[in-house]
Amino acid sequence: MSARYGLDRAIARVAPVLIVALVAAVPLLTDDRYLFKVLTFVGLNVIVVTGLALLFGYAGQISLGHAAFFGIGAYSVGYLTATRALPWLAAVAIGVALASVVGLLLSLPMLRLKGHYLAMATLAFSEILGVFFVEASAITGGNDGLRGIPFPSVGPFKIATPGASYLLVWGVAIIVVVLASNLVRTRPGRALRAVHGTELGAQACGIDTGRLRVQVFTLSAGLAGLAGALYAGVVGFVSPTTFSLEFSVLLVAMVVLGGTGSITGPVVACVALTLLPYIDALVPGLPRDAVAFLQDWEADISGIVMIGVLLFAPGGVAGMLRRSRRAGDAS
Amino acid sequence: MTMLSVRGLSKSFGGLTAVDNVSFDVHEGMIKALIGPNGAGKSTLFNLLTGFECPDAGTVTFLGQPMVALKPFKVVRAGIARTFQNTQVFGEMSVIENVLVGMHTQLATGFAAGALRLPATRKADRMAVERAGRLLRLVGAEEFADAPGADIPHGVRRLVEIARALAAAPKLLLLDEPAAGLNNAETQALAASLRRIQADGTTILIVEHDMGLVMEISDEIVVLDRGRKIAEGSPKLIQKDPAVIEAYLGEEVPDA
Ligand SMILES: Nc1ncnc2c1ncn2[C@@H]1O[C@H](COP(=O)(O)OP(=O)(O)OP(=O)(O)O)[C@@H](O)[C@H]1O
Ligand SMILES: [Mg+2]
Repeated sequence: MSARYGLDRAIARVAPVLIVALVAAVPLLTDDRYLFKVLTFVGLNVIVVTGLALLFGYAGQISLGHAAFFGIGAYSVGYLTATRALPWLAAVAIGVALASVVGLLLSLPMLRLKGHYLAMATLAFSEILGVFFVEASAITGGNDGLRGIPFPSVGPFKIATPGASYLLVWGVAIIVVVLASNLVRTRPGRALRAVHGTELGAQACGIDTGRLRVQVFTLSAGLAGLAGALYAGVVGFVSPTTFSLEFSVLLVAMVVLGGTGSITGPVVACVALTLLPYIDALVPGLPRDAVAFLQDWEADISGIVMIGVLLFAPGGVAGMLRRSRRAGDAS
Repeated sequence: MTMLSVRGLSKSFGGLTAVDNVSFDVHEGMIKALIGPNGAGKSTLFNLLTGFECPDAGTVTFLGQPMVALKPFKVVRAGIARTFQNTQVFGEMSVIENVLVGMHTQLATGFAAGALRLPATRKADRMAVERAGRLLRLVGAEEFADAPGADIPHGVRRLVEIARALAAAPKLLLLDEPAAGLNNAETQALAASLRRIQADGTTILIVEHDMGLVMEISDEIVVLDRGRKIAEGSPKLIQKDPAVIEAYLGEEVPDA
């Protein structure tokens, strides 16, 4: 046991250093604007998926509405910086706060719901917000969306290049992943897993399961809002099509594929699934038919992967690793 | 001193009165047993005491504080922890993590402190892990510490639940059939553990069908039959009580 845990711990110590080094190395190796943009999207998704991993992978609560929280963050920053000329940092803080508060308010009535009903409630919420993004055109610009959103800036520092945006987003993403990885190893993280395991058992341990549910939903909504808030400034443009149900489903697919009870698994799955549509640019020399197929069927592939994982490997990638390690122990 | 006092407690499910006007006291420091035939209402009574069910009538007072209608987590905070007849072990968590969850009320780490994992948090967790190990040794489940909850035998799950309940540092421990699934030797070990828990200052209310164990460890017994209390007293008196013998006719008669 101790040798295995020693190795695990060594990996756990080294992995974050390697990842940070890798992320930091990219700007030294390339100045390809397109690559920076793609990797920036990956980083934004990593932020949302980390929150969803806490919500779904740890607490076992599904949400098909996280694209909407992303939208709240993005529209807040778009509106407040472009139309109201608020400082970027203040706009981001307001966007995150707004997404969190909406998450909190939504999670309260949802406390009575479980499983499919919970999924339906978040879905309905997301649809309603989608309509709002289109209809509240005075704020959101309606179907045209908001254009000319200023670049992120803090005081005199302006983050105006793709390389700088990449570093900003990945800097935030790494902090979020590190904090979440800490969280799941301590008391609140154990409580989340316990509630997922058996609610009766969790209550008997003195856990206020309702409060915990609200907390984790609020946190994950806030993280989606944070990613959206960063998105607005980095892309400079926000429109309703970005915050679709497909995006919500894709985010959940990343967590499912990455595995329950893990932060690393979903983050890895997020990187892979986000890069999939850009595979032609990233892997030169791929047959054009294959690329076209992948791009046309992207959503379907995600869906099939998700169903396959649910049917054959319910623990996802992380679960399979855990199982093989356990089997290795037994032999 | 009276620690728990139950007065006129009743609970019906549809037409069935599962607990019918039950009153009794549990005094500090004792092991009290709650026995009765299948379906007598013992588990329902536990659910009423711990906030998992709300009684139709009656009161529960714990250390002078009214307990009825409290949510389960508040009952734990007040100092009552329990185990389940149908075990509720966290299957995806290791046995020691199960016990750590039991320390939820004893640790203070919230979301922010947990995310930062400051030295104080780490130190508290290190001490918690040590204490969890001691509790697993106390109940005799230490060899399973790193096994996932889903992979351990049923008898051991009951022991893990005892350790997990003790982790909340309760003043009163409620055990619902802890010896089910244990063999003779394991039951003897359990009896010794319960005595040690009692000696450490925890009062115990135990539901158990193993009459040997009940007669051996309990200071007092309450007998339920079809929801009603039919007898209460020392093990010696209960064994001779005609109403108790009558209730158990056709079942195993509590032997000496
Ligand atoms: N939630 C419920 N809904 C309907 N009936 C219930 C419910 N809980 C318990 N009962 C009924 O109440 C009666 C008492 O059940 P309880 O589980 O309290 O008995 P018990 O004394 O613990 O029995 P056992 O020794 O078999 O565990 C039984 O007839 C049972 O079917
Ligand atoms: Mg029972």
